[in-house]
Amino acid sequence: MEGLHSALLRADPRLSKFNPLSRIIFYDDFDVGLQGWSELIGNYEGTLDSMLPGYDDLRPPMLSNLSMWDTGSAGSMEGMYALKIATRPSAGALSVDTKRVTWRQRGPVRLEAYFAFKPEATEMSLSEVDVRSIGVVFDVQDEKYRYMPHLRYLNAFQGKRVAHWQFKRQRAPLMPIGSSGKTVSHFHLAPENWEDVPGGRQFLCYNEIATKHNWHYLRVDLNLSSRQITGLQCNDRVHDMAGVEPMMMPAMANLWCMLNVGFFIETDVDKRAFLYLDSVLLSGEWE
Amino acid sequence: MMVRQSYTAVVERNHVWQGSFATEPYEVGWAGEAIFFVRLLEGRTELRGLPIRVQVSPDGIHWCDEGAVLTLSGAEVNFVRVSHFGNWLRLAGTWPDGAAGKVIATLALKE
Repeated sequence: MEGLHSALLRADPRLSKFNPLSRIIFYDDFDVGLQGWSELIGNYEGTLDSMLPGYDDLRPPMLSNLSMWDTGSAGSMEGMYALKIATRPSAGALSVDTKRVTWRQRGPVRLEAYFAFKPEATEMSLSEVDVRSIGVVFDVQDEKYRYMPHLRYLNAFQGKRVAHWQFKRQRAPLMPIGSSGKTVSHFHLAPENWEDVPGGRQFLCYNEIATKHNWHYLRVDLNLSSRQITGLQCNDRVHDMAGVEPMMMPAMANLWCMLNVGFFIETDVDKRAFLYLDSVLLSGEWE
Repeated sequence: MMVRQSYTAVVERNHVWQGSFATEPYEVGWAGEAIFFVRLLEGRTELRGLPIRVQVSPDGIHWCDEGAVLTLSGAEVNFVRVSHFGNWLRLAGTWPDGAAGKVIATLALKE
């Protein structure tokens, strides 16, 4: 049965580039639309002004054919369209898009994607340190905890190449939102308190001008039983996740079995940064 | 059965427009028709008659007016239709000193 399962996946040109677990929760190829991805927004009550400031402008996703001013449309890795997440042109601006599902059994979950990132090609310069970071977020709840495994690839900071994977376990305190007593919030993507994944330095394929894109493979394994990220692979590098922890908090009233996934990009300069996802696959292991 | 794709992007939310402004570039190459909606959260009466221009672009970097203009009517919600627009759309405005409005701007797209 396992051999047949594997053979069927390998025979499908869209899926053979992934290594999914036995159940595919969703497979999103953005050639057929935005597939349920949307902008992340913070909690609010009564007025949008009650939202924590970090959440107020995380930008909607778009379908991109990667059209460049000098060479026209590159298309995606497979087909024409990719999901594009774009920041505003302001240093430190962050954009986050998400898809929200729930889990059936506390076991392994695997997120895979093919991605590329670039700054907006507004200058005829290499611009390889203009994108600050790209990252992956999970937001999960079980019967005891809400937890948020976060990983980012810190490409550059304040103009200097960093090229290191990082995680985040320290979180800001929960703040009350509005006056009902039912809503709280904390900005889990704040720039503070990211920590290096031990041995997590990795160089990616930026290419030689700002209008050339190379697609990269990403795999993040999460175990819903241990509440830990258990695997991170980007292209040829498999990183050791020992000591990598999520942000933890007590379970909340309305989030049972939540399994949210998201991707983000942050710019290091006053120039838009773009994250492109050719396709995303979330799989799990259950009976 | 395949149904027509559609998508609504909130291109500005709770954002104040004043002076010279433009929405962020939005890629629309897959769509055949679009409507920009502008909902004024503040400034509805004071801004009556002010124009907001639809713009198109070859590359998302350089922009020109498409010709369609949304003129604020005094109502809470106004819209402008646009079709045959290439790969990019945005709204742009140049308002006189003192004119300011807090908006939610929405781009509704269809194949």
